[in-house]
Amino acid sequence: MNEANYRVKVARDLEDLIPVFMSNRRKELDTLRVALASADFEQLRQLGHRMKGVGVSYGFDHVSTIGKYIEDGARSGDRASLEARIAEYAEYLSKVQIAYE
Amino acid sequence: MSAHDFRVLVVDDDPDMRGLLACMLEAEGMRADTLPDGEAALLHAIASPPDLLLLDVMLPGLDGFALCEQLKRDPTTAMIPIVLVTALEDSASRVRGIRAGADDFLSKPVRHEELMARVQTLRRLHETRRELETRRLAAEVQRKEALRKTFARYISPRLAEHIMADLDDEGTPFQRGPQRVSVVALFADLRGFTRLTERTQVDEVVGLLNDYFAVITEAAYRHDGTIFSMAGDNLLTGFNVPFPQPDAGRRAWETAHDMARSVKPVLERWRSRGGTPTGVGFGLASGDAIIGNVGSPHYMNYTIIGDAVNVAARLVALAQPGELLASGPALHAAGGMGAGAQPRGKLALRGRSEAVDVYAVAL
Repeated sequence: MNEANYRVKVARDLEDLIPVFMSNRRKELDTLRVALASADFEQLRQLGHRMKGVGVSYGFDHVSTIGKYIEDGARSGDRASLEARIAEYAEYLSKVQIAYE
Repeated sequence: MSAHDFRVLVVDDDPDMRGLLACMLEAEGMRADTLPDGEAALLHAIASPPDLLLLDVMLPGLDGFALCEQLKRDPTTAMIPIVLVTALEDSASRVRGIRAGADDFLSKPVRHEELMARVQTLRRLHETRRELETRRLAAEVQRKEALRKTFARYISPRLAEHIMADLDDEGTPFQRGPQRVSVVALFADLRGFTRLTERTQVDEVVGLLNDYFAVITEAAYRHDGTIFSMAGDNLLTGFNVPFPQPDAGRRAWETAHDMARSVKPVLERWRSRGGTPTGVGFGLASGDAIIGNVGSPHYMNYTIIGDAVNVAARLVALAQPGELLASGPALHAAGGMGAGAQPRGKLALRGRSEAVDVYAVAL
C-alpha cells in the first residue's frame, strides 16, 4: 500500500471522537487476533461487518475495505486470508496519519 | 419547533456509530440521546417518545426489526418515525424492515449528507403531522365548546357540563344508573296562567313567558341550582343534585327570594301594558329522591323524582301569588334564612298518606 493510502482526512466536527475511535480500533485488532487464534469465524465475521460500517462513516475508507475482506474470509473459513488481512490492519493502524479539515 | 427541540434517539451497539450519529445530529442543533440495545430503547421510547429514532438493525437481544415492530404496534409510539440504519445490503432485509414499519433506511457506512437529508425530510413530515394534530385537537375543543353552549341553552349549564364530562371520559352521556340522593326541590309557578292564556294573544303570552323564564332561570343559576324541567309556566329547580351542595337548603331559599324579586319588574311591565294581573307562587321541599333517566329510548328526561319533588309540587299548587310554601324539613334545611316563616300547621297533600308540616312566607 502506498503512503497516500495511510493519509486520512476527517471532518473537523469529528475531531473529538477520533481518539476514542482509534483506541477502539486497536482493541478491535486485539480481538480479531484472539478470534483468529481460536478459529472463532462467527466473531470474525461480526467484527468485519462492524468495521465495514464504521470505517467510511468516520472517513477511514480502508478500515471498511479490510472489514469487508475479513467478513468474507470469515464466511468462507479462509484462515490464510484472514491472517493476511489482520496483519494489513495492524500495519494500517500503526501508520495512519489523520488530518482534520 | 426549533432544531434543538427535535429529539432523536440513536440506538446502536457500536459506541463509535452511536457517537458519530449523535455528533452529526448535535452539529445540526438537534438533541441526541444514545442507547446500546433494543430493550433499553423500548423502555425509553415508551417513557419519553423521541421525535425520531435512528435504529441499528443488528442489536444484541431485541434486534432492530423486532423493536421497530413493537413500537409500530403500540399506539403511543406508532407515530415515531423510525430510520433503520443497516449495513445489510440485501433486498430481503429491506423488505423485512418495511414490513416491520420502518419509515426510511440509512446504509452503513453513514454519509453526513445522506443522514441529514433523511432526518430533515422526516423532521418536516413529523412537524406537519404534529401541526395537523394540534389543529385537529383545537377543532375538537371548539366543537365541544359549541356543543356545550348549544346544550346549555336547552338544559341547565351544570347538566351540560355533566354531559360533556361524560363525553370527555369517552362514556355515553346519561348512562349512569339511577341514584338515590337527598335533594331540595323548588317549584316556581306563574299563578292563573291557564286563565291568562284564554284571554291573551298567543304571541303576547309567549313574550311574557320568555321574560318570566329568563329572569327566574338566571336567578336559579346565580345560586347554582340545576333546572330539571320547564313545562308551561312551571319551573323545577333542584339543589344538591347532580353535585353535592352542603348548603342546598339555604341556596334554595335564597333562590326563591331572588326569583320573586327578579320577576316583579316583568309582571309590572305586563300589567302596565294591560295584561291580566298575575304573580308567582313557590313550593319548597327537601328529602330523598331518585335522579336518573326517565322515559323511553326515544324520549328521555334526566330528572328527579320522589317524595320531596311530589311535596314541592303539591305546595306550589297551594301557594298564592307572591307566596312561598315550604315543608318542615326544607325550612329546617334553610337554617336562619327561614326565620320569618309562619306555620300553616299540618296539611294533607294529595297522594300522600301522612300530613306535612307547612310554613309560609310572603316574598
